[in-house]
Amino acid sequence: MRIISIVLLFGTLGAAGKLSFNRDIRPILSNKCFACHGPDSKTREAKLRLDQRGSALKVIEPGAPDKSELIARIAHVDDEEMMPPPETNKSLSPEEILSLRKWIEEGAQFEPHWAFIPATRKNEPRNIDYFIIRRLRDSNLTLSSPASKETLIRRVSLDLTGIPASPEEVSAFVNDSSPDAYEKLIDRLLASPRYGEHMAAFWMEASRYADTDGYQNDRYRYQWAWRDWLIRALNQNLPYDKFITHQLAGDMLPDTTLHQQIATGFCRNHRINSEAGSIPEEWQAEYVADRVDTLGTVFLGLTVSCARCHDHKFDPISQKEYYQLFAYFNNIPEFGTGPNNGNSPPYIPVPKDYPNIDEATNKAQTPEPITWQKKGQYSGGVRRPVPGKENTVMVMHEQSIPRETYLLNRGLYNDPDKSEKLQPSTPSSLNTSEEKFEKNRLGLAQWLIHPKHPLTSRVAVNRYWQHFFGAGLVRTPENFGAQGEAPTHPELLDWLAVEFIENGWDVKALHKLIVMSMTYQQSSLTTSQLLALDPENRLLARAPRLRLTAFAIRDQALFASNLLVEKQYGPPAKPYMPPKIWSAISNNKYKRDIGDNLYRRSLYTYWRRTIPPPTMMTFNAGDREVCTIQQSRTNTPLQALTLMNNVAFVEASRFLAERILRTKGSPSEKIAIGYRILSGRTPSKETTERLAQDYKAYQSDFKNTPDKAAELLKIGDKAYNQDLNPTDLAAMTIVATTILNLDESLTRE
Amino acid sequence: MNDPFNLTRRYFLQGGGAGLGSLALGSLLGSEHGLHSSVVSKPKAKRIIYLFQSGGPSQLDLFDHKPGLKKRFGEEVPTSIYPDERKTKMSAAQSSFATAPSIFNFTRHGESGAWMSELLPHTAKMADELCIMRSLHTEAINHDPAITFLQTGSQIAGRPSMGAWMHYGLGSNNSDLPAFVAMSSRGKAKTGQPLYDRLWGAGFLPAKYQGIKFRNQGDPVLDIYDPPGVSREMRRRMLDSLKKLNHDRFSITQDPKIAARISQYELAYRMQTSVPGLLDFANEPKDTFDLYGEEAKKTGTYAYNCLMARRLAERGVRYIQLFHQGWDQHNNLPGQMRSQARDTDQATAGLLRDLKQRGMLDDTLVIWGGEFGRTVYSQGKLTEKNYGRDHHPGCFTMWMAGGGAKPGITYGQTDDYSTSVVKDPVHVNDLHATILKLMGIDHKRLTHFHQGREFRLTDVGGNPISDLMA
Repeated sequence: MRIISIVLLFGTLGAAGKLSFNRDIRPILSNKCFACHGPDSKTREAKLRLDQRGSALKVIEPGAPDKSELIARIAHVDDEEMMPPPETNKSLSPEEILSLRKWIEEGAQFEPHWAFIPATRKNEPRNIDYFIIRRLRDSNLTLSSPASKETLIRRVSLDLTGIPASPEEVSAFVNDSSPDAYEKLIDRLLASPRYGEHMAAFWMEASRYADTDGYQNDRYRYQWAWRDWLIRALNQNLPYDKFITHQLAGDMLPDTTLHQQIATGFCRNHRINSEAGSIPEEWQAEYVADRVDTLGTVFLGLTVSCARCHDHKFDPISQKEYYQLFAYFNNIPEFGTGPNNGNSPPYIPVPKDYPNIDEATNKAQTPEPITWQKKGQYSGGVRRPVPGKENTVMVMHEQSIPRETYLLNRGLYNDPDKSEKLQPSTPSSLNTSEEKFEKNRLGLAQWLIHPKHPLTSRVAVNRYWQHFFGAGLVRTPENFGAQGEAPTHPELLDWLAVEFIENGWDVKALHKLIVMSMTYQQSSLTTSQLLALDPENRLLARAPRLRLTAFAIRDQALFASNLLVEKQYGPPAKPYMPPKIWSAISNNKYKRDIGDNLYRRSLYTYWRRTIPPPTMMTFNAGDREVCTIQQSRTNTPLQALTLMNNVAFVEASRFLAERILRTKGSPSEKIAIGYRILSGRTPSKETTERLAQDYKAYQSDFKNTPDKAAELLKIGDKAYNQDLNPTDLAAMTIVATTILNLDESLTRE
Repeated sequence: MNDPFNLTRRYFLQGGGAGLGSLALGSLLGSEHGLHSSVVSKPKAKRIIYLFQSGGPSQLDLFDHKPGLKKRFGEEVPTSIYPDERKTKMSAAQSSFATAPSIFNFTRHGESGAWMSELLPHTAKMADELCIMRSLHTEAINHDPAITFLQTGSQIAGRPSMGAWMHYGLGSNNSDLPAFVAMSSRGKAKTGQPLYDRLWGAGFLPAKYQGIKFRNQGDPVLDIYDPPGVSREMRRRMLDSLKKLNHDRFSITQDPKIAARISQYELAYRMQTSVPGLLDFANEPKDTFDLYGEEAKKTGTYAYNCLMARRLAERGVRYIQLFHQGWDQHNNLPGQMRSQARDTDQATAGLLRDLKQRGMLDDTLVIWGGEFGRTVYSQGKLTEKNYGRDHHPGCFTMWMAGGGAKPGITYGQTDDYSTSVVKDPVHVNDLHATILKLMGIDHKRLTHFHQGREFRLTDVGGNPISDLMA
């Protein structure tokens, strides 16, 4: 389906003409042939590799498809002769065979995979819109007209801060006719502390941050100092090169600070196993592999993890190179078996009030060496380290005597290839600069942020693009390799990647650049013609309409009902959960908080990995077991049930109703304001009158059944104000639920 | 005139939305079609009820009869039989690995003459329906990776569970209930390894394929009931307005996802309507409780869940996953096993008999088993009356019944110590391939493209075993 849709788009919309190896041919060869004729030396058949021209010419006669054995074999009808063999279910389609023929006719030129060549751009003044409009023009399309100001301020507020604009902010923006009104709005949003909280939520998912260990009994850990470092770093606009360096190797910087050291918690957010029977060596290897895999996904945009058990089937990463990456992360004084509740070594104390500390306190700490719990506590005398308590955070630290690294056959901890001791090293296909780096984590970070690195900046700007447009310019943000999708706008991707680097990796500046573009500001309204032509909106002839993320849906409801408590930082909050959410299937009890912690932003919600908050999961939050950087946005009946019936949302409806009732005017005027709080726009008279009719009907129902009204108003901890008429409040609560459930409320248009 | 539903159908067929084409379309229309035509052929079973016995039930004390061990009571298990390197850290440091024969009596049952211990008198009466596999083996020695392996085909978190694969491949048979339901119960022995959401999760498949957890407490399905004080009539009125206003927005935005949202709200409403009937056991005759036991009247017991499984199966739910916790007998095995068996044996057999009487066993595949087996040596002190057993991945027993599984056979053989498989091994991947085959699915063709390659339940292994199929 993926391939077909690309063909549809570029086949029907794209210009005909000479085939491009990277765009048209590599995907076919990679998907259908590389598994047996690609980079993996162990599974290579007939000594033929089709990822390198030299070898491929054994079966290709450039200019002469009919003389090329490749064509003869893929077009063969005999099962014995046909390639790929029929039992692989990888037979080529007639279109694919035609493409290969044409490509051979044109000379069978190979190109290096685009993502492994450093990004460059022409020395001409360009901007985002230039590239988007040029591509649209090829298909006889244009950008849509600009979105209305109401839509725009709600959109950009949600995208930058995760919280919609208040009705007052909407009015102020609509009435501000100065030419820089929009830019002033952007600057205000980028400076808001909400910005860092919102952006942190995505990085927490990417870095599999959680409040528990994630295996079996899923023991508690205390890692929120890292989360608070993250929010602060994003709000302070720490440049992306430093953002990477501090998280991978902050502890190794000269004159390292406490902030930099806590940043390395990124490398410790992986799961840890405390199961009594576990073999420490097995799990220690697992943690190191998790660090490598996360590095691969979030920074390299490559499925590096494939090379753990064998050479990568599609991309030039050998198994040996995997373990050379492994070696960077294999040298910390850690122990494979977890402590059973608490932080696993190495950890350091966190000062009170972190991250609000003064310069004198901002001093790196040396982790204590591992000490051991007393024996006899568990059957068979399982050895466990003494855990760090609540005032600690897990960090990276180098041991003085390096742990030896070997290639692990089939990825198994107990099957090392002892014939060669491996040193830290980066995959040769990605070494695009001449510079030499130290063979340690700091050197690894410096390698990543080198301006000639082909992936780091591309992968980052692509992820940000995804943040603002719902899909990246490369629609497989975790895979820039041969099996990933080619960029929809390759020149734009590279232009942005170079811009980001030349601008000192300034993240807020990049975000501003994106949201200031016409492309971003256009309307999301579409037509059936446009939908038929470009159903996935690859060309961006309209802005995307996106369902809000799980976190934003809850935060918006709290904000709209004036319940939101905006306290930054600190231990996680335990909001409402279904009864016995933990104890029904595990050996722990969830004790929810009372008071303010029920109403804090969702990124502070306690995250138990094996039983993650169901409301969040219903709306496609990542589960934090492993790194995820692409959220799906599904549409299920459970979402409807949650928004209509869940205590958190019913309580929010009650308080939204209260807010509505306290405004002046007729019921339909009041309801119009409620609608405006959620959608940012004033609804039609027809709409408000319909809802006002509903209100009247609910009122008369509740008048006859006051006990029912009382029951509804009791839902949630926070009591309603007794000066309100309970019948009115209950009736308006259902109207408020209606508004909260509107597609328009759940969508950033 | 643009009908949103027609437009939506076209949009998804063109590969919009999740990029799943006609798949995504299925759930929009209430009942789903899955992949049928391309992947499914000649299914023997239409649905699965998987009775997962969590913790690792001891094969030595239930099915894998080893009469020769009696005379070896207390003898050291030779390291030639049981090498040291894969013993867990819980027992690896023991000074002795004494042979612990089962304390329980074994007899043969039914015409097939299957061996079963005295712990399973009810299951024993159904012996001729069972396809007993004594030669399962797995790769993991700890609960979490082992149960994750059984449920998702991989020890690594992040893969779809088997039920999610089925839902993805076969779609749904019921427009009012989820296609995949998971339930859990806990034995009176009160020991129990925890369960995790990933065991019924969708992994990298779209979230809608995940199992819906029926809960023991509170709302059976999360937030299924209207809030106290809100009547059905009010809800209907609210949904009518919601539909109208969403439709208005659609006519302006032309976004087909709005049509999808409208139908999901209607499906939610229908689920709300059908669940109370599902939960109401009042119309079950007395015979039912003779079959499953009186425990079946108590919400959240294993027996209750077995009866619920039959009711769900009747209503067309495709994949019903039960978990019963507590089969982790590191110590006090005899007492704990008696308790576990009491909690489960009658209802398990009752479910089989009930399905059979209703003519549903033919197309319902029932699966019973845990995540690994247990050691022949005693963990902790061995006495005449007491012993424990540690985790053992080398061999364990599972059974299937109905749904095209070959009835009345015992398949595979282990060595004299029930430590290694010596004949007809069944790897977890083979089991999965066989189960898929019974559902009419070629395990190599049920795939999903993710992170640059096609993934499947059986990953890169697995062969369906024809001897296990009728």
